[in-house]
Amino acid sequence: MELNRRDLLKVLGLAGLGVAGGGVLAGCTTSGGGAPVLSGNADLDLWTHDPGYATFFTDAATDAALVGGSAWTFGVDVTSIAPADIVSRLITQAVAQRPLPQLAGLVIDQFPRVMRADIAENLFVDLTSLTEPLGDRLLKTQPYSVDGKVYALESDNSVSVMFYRADLFEQLGIPDDVGTWEELLEIGAGVAADTGRAIGMVANGDNGSIVNGFTQLLLQRGGSLYDADGNLTVVSDESVEVLELMAAGVRSGAFLPLSDPYGGAVAAALKENQLIATVMPNWYEVYGLQANVPDQSGRWRARTIPRFTGGGHIGSTLGGTAFAVLKDQPLTDAATDLLRRTYLSEDGQLARYHAGAYMPTLVDLYQATRFQQITDDYLGGQRVFEVYAAAAMDMPAFYQAAGASVLRDSLGGPILRAINGQASAEEALTAGVHAYERQVQQ
Amino acid sequence: MTATTAATKLRSDQRRWAPYAFISPFFVLFTVFLLVPVGAGIYLSLTDWAGLGEPDFIGLANYSRLLGDASFGAALGNTAFYTLFAIVVVLPVSLLIALGLDTRGLRLRDFFRLTYFMPVVLSPIIIALIFGLIFDGQYGLLNAVLEALFGFGGVSWLTDPMWARVVVVVLVLWRWTGYLTIFFLAGLQAIPRELHEAAELDGAGLVRRFFSVTLPQLRPVTAFIAVTMLVNTAQIFEEPFLLTQGGPGEATLSVSMFVYRAGFQRQELGYAAAAGVVMFVIVFVLGRIGTRAFGVGRTR
Repeated sequence: MELNRRDLLKVLGLAGLGVAGGGVLAGCTTSGGGAPVLSGNADLDLWTHDPGYATFFTDAATDAALVGGSAWTFGVDVTSIAPADIVSRLITQAVAQRPLPQLAGLVIDQFPRVMRADIAENLFVDLTSLTEPLGDRLLKTQPYSVDGKVYALESDNSVSVMFYRADLFEQLGIPDDVGTWEELLEIGAGVAADTGRAIGMVANGDNGSIVNGFTQLLLQRGGSLYDADGNLTVVSDESVEVLELMAAGVRSGAFLPLSDPYGGAVAAALKENQLIATVMPNWYEVYGLQANVPDQSGRWRARTIPRFTGGGHIGSTLGGTAFAVLKDQPLTDAATDLLRRTYLSEDGQLARYHAGAYMPTLVDLYQATRFQQITDDYLGGQRVFEVYAAAAMDMPAFYQAAGASVLRDSLGGPILRAINGQASAEEALTAGVHAYERQVQQ
Repeated sequence: MTATTAATKLRSDQRRWAPYAFISPFFVLFTVFLLVPVGAGIYLSLTDWAGLGEPDFIGLANYSRLLGDASFGAALGNTAFYTLFAIVVVLPVSLLIALGLDTRGLRLRDFFRLTYFMPVVLSPIIIALIFGLIFDGQYGLLNAVLEALFGFGGVSWLTDPMWARVVVVVLVLWRWTGYLTIFFLAGLQAIPRELHEAAELDGAGLVRRFFSVTLPQLRPVTAFIAVTMLVNTAQIFEEPFLLTQGGPGEATLSVSMFVYRAGFQRQELGYAAAAGVVMFVIVFVLGRIGTRAFGVGRTR
């Protein structure tokens, strides 16, 4: 057979394309894993971005109070992966039929990625049978649900409250029990004019931070980005009201616009006593306040968020990480059992709080003596669960949809324009939603 | 067939196939790492695929969607701005610095080289953090300096669409100028001194020598740098991603970021592949234009 260089290239090219096509088609199924392990040793692989969860699960796996009586003897092998990479790698591993972990921590804003094309259904165990008996006792299942089925369990309720500097509030004569945002904003405007200090912050950096800040207040006001069926509900009177409040706050100086609510900018604002209050979730105390201003320990307090005059809640939510169990693997049942014991029991929730200040997701636990007695040194020895209980009891539901990432990118710019006074709230929201609809419909 | 004939045929076959066996490693690698990904990418761009399950063949629908996607238009516009800036500003600045470093009798030459090259070896994460601190609107160093010197310092460097683009190109300038300077310096040092001396004897001044001796002699180096920079900047990702995440809004979004966003934030792998193919075509065409315009590969 005569073979020249051109023929060789052709043959190799065709073979290569064939291999690629075959690979793509072969990748259309997820890997199975053999017979289920029903008892005995269960060395589980866990992927997470947060060292706190790594420590918690590693300790919990051998904690007799949590896993005593289980058919499995647990061990946990943790792999640390960035939040966005966890979902990407779960999918690529499944496509390539490579080993998957049994447990994976999904950051809340990454979950919409698996809401498309039955990815959640194909990758994760449907945990509805565990959550359904708990009914309304169990909070925050909505963001991790697809077609009414729960695919991941929230680790931290992420209850939003208002953190404030008790010493500066007293010094400036700001009451710590102001009832409404409207009143507080008026006081804040006066404080800003007199002292240059701000009683809140508004993110103006990346789209994620901008939209998160807006969403937190929108949920509190009683609005939402999506309804339970995944329909967009962001254009509403509540949204306009919230955005107008944010813009008015920035205009008067009551709210400080900051590019990064967690890094250098907020550290400077806190250190200079320029930011003396902020509405953020419980985890912000550790990652925002304690991390940036440990020297201000004892000067901060928490309270519920002032209501909007028009209605809404005294609590809200922002962020979170939920754990999902990967399906069709020998240790899937074992992983589900560990997750149930650690995430849906009172002991497990208390252990989680002590491991990383992760808030309970079982709402009645906020009233339990064990939680009510907890005091927080950073917050001046305050019995924090008195505040968190009130906020959790009135916490709005948060729904997501597959297009949440598109919405974030579509709304970020327009919201920023409204905050900066370059567009009205209504114009900005309409523009953002038009951009979203154009992309989602296409 | 006798044993002798068989052995002769075997040797003949070996002789015929041996050259192909020797050159095959290149072709195998070329196929596996270039043809296959390109083929798979083109195929994916014709499908709707979220990563799992069967890719749905949808023909050219992704390309048609790209045509009407304002975000993709914004990404193209931003990338064109970055690329233009790189060619029009970064390249000449690099050459000027190289000329400065090539000056006879310059002291601390190695120190300057090291300083200019430093940004290339620094981690992009650290660079983004430092730039974030410098350009922060409220507490940034630059605004503080402007306030102290000129009495104004309220520029929203990272949160105003126009200024955010400027900061990204400043980062490009800062990061890549030193790297390109090294190439220009190598080119300058390769120019025979006699040419400059002859021009000087003929009465050519500094400027005339630059345009009549230095620039023509540097043409191959300039061509290489220009085409490399053109192709690299057309695929810019790290700078806007780390500094502004493409924001505010989509003011600094680049085409590479658009591809990443579609693929890894929205699970629209087919759409991301289509954008990737378009980017590939644009970069290829730009590369060819650059190659032709600067005469890369042409014998002098």
